[in-house]
Amino acid sequence: MGVTCVSQMPVAEGKSVQQTVELLTRKLEMLGAEKQGTFCVDCETYHTAASTLGSQGQAGKLMYVMHNSEYPLSCFALFENGPCLIADTNFDVLMVKLKGFFQSAKASKIETRGPRYQYCDFLVKVGTVTMGPSARGISVEVEYGPCVVASDCWSLLLEFLQSFLGSHTPGAPPVFGNRHDAVYGPADTMIQYMELFNKIRKQQQVPVAGIR
Amino acid sequence: MSGVRAVRISIESACEKQVQEVGLDGTETYLQPLSMSQNLARLAQRIDFSQGSGSEEEEAAGPDGDAQDWAGAAAEQDDEEALVKFQPSLWPWDSVRNNLRSALTEMCVLYDVLSIVRDKKFMTLDPVSQDALPPKQSPQTLQLISKKKSLAGAAQILLKGAERLTKSVAENQENKLQRDFNSELLRLRQHWKLRKVGDKILGDLSYRSAGSLFPHHGTFEVIKNTDIDLDKKIPEDYCPLDVQIPSDLEGSAYIKVSIQKQAPDIGDLGTVNLFKRPLPKSKPGSPHWQTKLEAAQNVLLCKEIFAQLSREAVQIKSQIPHIVVKNQIISQPFPNLQLSISLCHSSNDKKSQKSATEKPGPEDHLYVLEHSLHLLIREFHKQTLSSIVMPHPASAPFGHKRMRLSGPQAFDKNEINSIQSTEGLLEKIIKQAKHIFLRSRTAATIDSLASRIEDPQIQAHWSNINDVYESSVKVLITSQGYEQICKSIQLQLNVGVEQVRVVHRDGRVITLSHQEQELQDFLLSQMSQHQVHAVQQLAKVMGWQVLSFSNHVGLGPIESIGNASAITVASPSGDYAISVRNGPESGSKIMVQFPRNQCKDLPKSDVLQDSKWSHLRGPFKEVQWSKMEGRNFVYKMELLMSALSPCLL
Repeated sequence: MGVTCVSQMPVAEGKSVQQTVELLTRKLEMLGAEKQGTFCVDCETYHTAASTLGSQGQAGKLMYVMHNSEYPLSCFALFENGPCLIADTNFDVLMVKLKGFFQSAKASKIETRGPRYQYCDFLVKVGTVTMGPSARGISVEVEYGPCVVASDCWSLLLEFLQSFLGSHTPGAPPVFGNRHDAVYGPADTMIQYMELFNKIRKQQQVPVAGIR
Repeated sequence: MSGVRAVRISIESACEKQVQEVGLDGTETYLQPLSMSQNLARLAQRIDFSQGSGSEEEEAAGPDGDAQDWAGAAAEQDDEEALVKFQPSLWPWDSVRNNLRSALTEMCVLYDVLSIVRDKKFMTLDPVSQDALPPKQSPQTLQLISKKKSLAGAAQILLKGAERLTKSVAENQENKLQRDFNSELLRLRQHWKLRKVGDKILGDLSYRSAGSLFPHHGTFEVIKNTDIDLDKKIPEDYCPLDVQIPSDLEGSAYIKVSIQKQAPDIGDLGTVNLFKRPLPKSKPGSPHWQTKLEAAQNVLLCKEIFAQLSREAVQIKSQIPHIVVKNQIISQPFPNLQLSISLCHSSNDKKSQKSATEKPGPEDHLYVLEHSLHLLIREFHKQTLSSIVMPHPASAPFGHKRMRLSGPQAFDKNEINSIQSTEGLLEKIIKQAKHIFLRSRTAATIDSLASRIEDPQIQAHWSNINDVYESSVKVLITSQGYEQICKSIQLQLNVGVEQVRVVHRDGRVITLSHQEQELQDFLLSQMSQHQVHAVQQLAKVMGWQVLSFSNHVGLGPIESIGNASAITVASPSGDYAISVRNGPESGSKIMVQFPRNQCKDLPKSDVLQDSKWSHLRGPFKEVQWSKMEGRNFVYKMELLMSALSPCLL
């Protein structure tokens, strides 16, 4: 588990999501990366049930249950600003039993799928973010395996991102900012994905070229 | 009573003073009696003033019970017998008078009875009948008789006990012949697990409690043997207990592992003959149910081994797929080599006994691998019970301890793969078979070379301590008679699973494949190099000087195996030189260089004017090596060298 940076790639002008992904993957292959299968990260949202809310009528908290194919036997559960739980895959079964307390928000399942490339110590995953049948955006995840402390290798990661993302290189993720010298863990990756998915959900639907 | 004379009675006051203490010389110190006021105070304390006359009867009594009773009695009397006058002033001697009166009455009655009894008309005194006292005897006789009696009593007890013991010993001996069902059941329980279900007694002969996960139930039933005719004589091997094993575990089974050179036709697959191996000899004292159950357990274990192997053969993807046909698994560890693992299960039917007449060939069946399979499956059983797996939380699946943590600690694929052991039973046994085959082929190669070639000699020293996947052998190439001088070729061969690694004495490491030709070629080339090395060592000993030496000469005909080596040595005086070229295929070629003045056919020229030039070495002449005397190359070389060094005497 190395330091990972998750960012969103805006769709190129006049092109569809698929074509932009195609562009990126071609750039990576020219760079010399080798394709090593596919990856998938998905996320489901749950509301805390109304019956458990206090008399003050505060808004129910949102809980996200996520899976990552990089950690096939784990399941991640996180609150917005709260803790992130890493559990066994039996957690999904547990959520079914907790139907009374957590209700699934319908049509909120969001996932990203795509190819996985290995370039020496870097693992690059370019995924299409889909919500239901429609593609909503592009996610790019880059992991630098050897390093586990974020502050030490952020500059190297940035340089690598610049090499194939060009001008769309993101800034340092907020997760890094919190604890500079703490060891990076899989939970931080999932937090980044959760923020990305939330951002994409709030965005308008990607305008299909030609309608306007 | 009125006519009786009055009896004089003397009265003495009994109020002696209480003794407070008795001094050491016997004098007594008395407590002073209470004075009038003290006595009054004591009596007044006993009065419970809270007790009114009849109004507060239920009040709890004070600490002084007497006062309560007195007051209570007083209250009761007042309540109940209001007419009876309470006489508070009873004179103090009243109790004395009463006691005396009752004593007088008693005495009068006694006097009357005695006077009547004295007459013996209406009442008599009759003594209580007693045993007649024995005549008074001397004390010794009495002691003798009493001792005799007690001894007789003790002897009686001992005899009774002895009788009981002899009876039980006799019973035991009888029991050996006529065994009781319960005692036999007890013996059975000492070896096998039994449980009672309803009115049946069932037992467990599976390996489940030892860690096996095979789904066979493995239950046998214990039944009473009642088909015995009590009138006839009980047979020697009669057993009141019989076990009924499941029908699919009857007979005996074993796993046959064999390696064959050529692959048979596809049509021949699955027709492995079920050789009836003779039943293993049971221990002489063990009852017949023990052998039966042990054989059934062995059948179950063989079935489990074969089931595991066939499951892996189907699931695991390998370059050359394994074939599973009926009771045989066939795989190809090396090209042109076939490994077959078959489950041979022969039931005890009379029919099959007749058909199985073939005897298994000894080379065919690799007993080592069969034993290895049994060990491997037992190790697999132990793993399910090891501390890595047990104890486990109730909600976790059965498996390695670290796998349970892989979820909560977010292990990625590399870490998960490192925990799971990837090798299954089949892979392990194939590796072992490959190693055994490679080892035997290496040994055969070395042995064939050693028997074929006499000069130089090959010696192979196999190591005693081997691994299942690795063995080692030290190969020495020497010349007979010159072992101390020529020992430069020493090879350490490590035979692995698929290749042989050779470590040379000079530090080179060479990896040879499983082809036997490679090893043979290598050894031949080493042998030819040895000859040249031997000449070098011999030259040192003989005092000859090495002029040139090369392990791999680039001149002359090309060898197909390895390279030729060559050496040139000069005699101590410098007159002669010997040049040797030895190749694995071309053999050895020896040339001797003579000084110029010994060659007669040299063309005279005018260039050389001085006669000293004729002492230089000149042309070469080949030696007919096959006609040389000497039993091996080095001996011949030594003879040649000594022939060319002139005697100084």
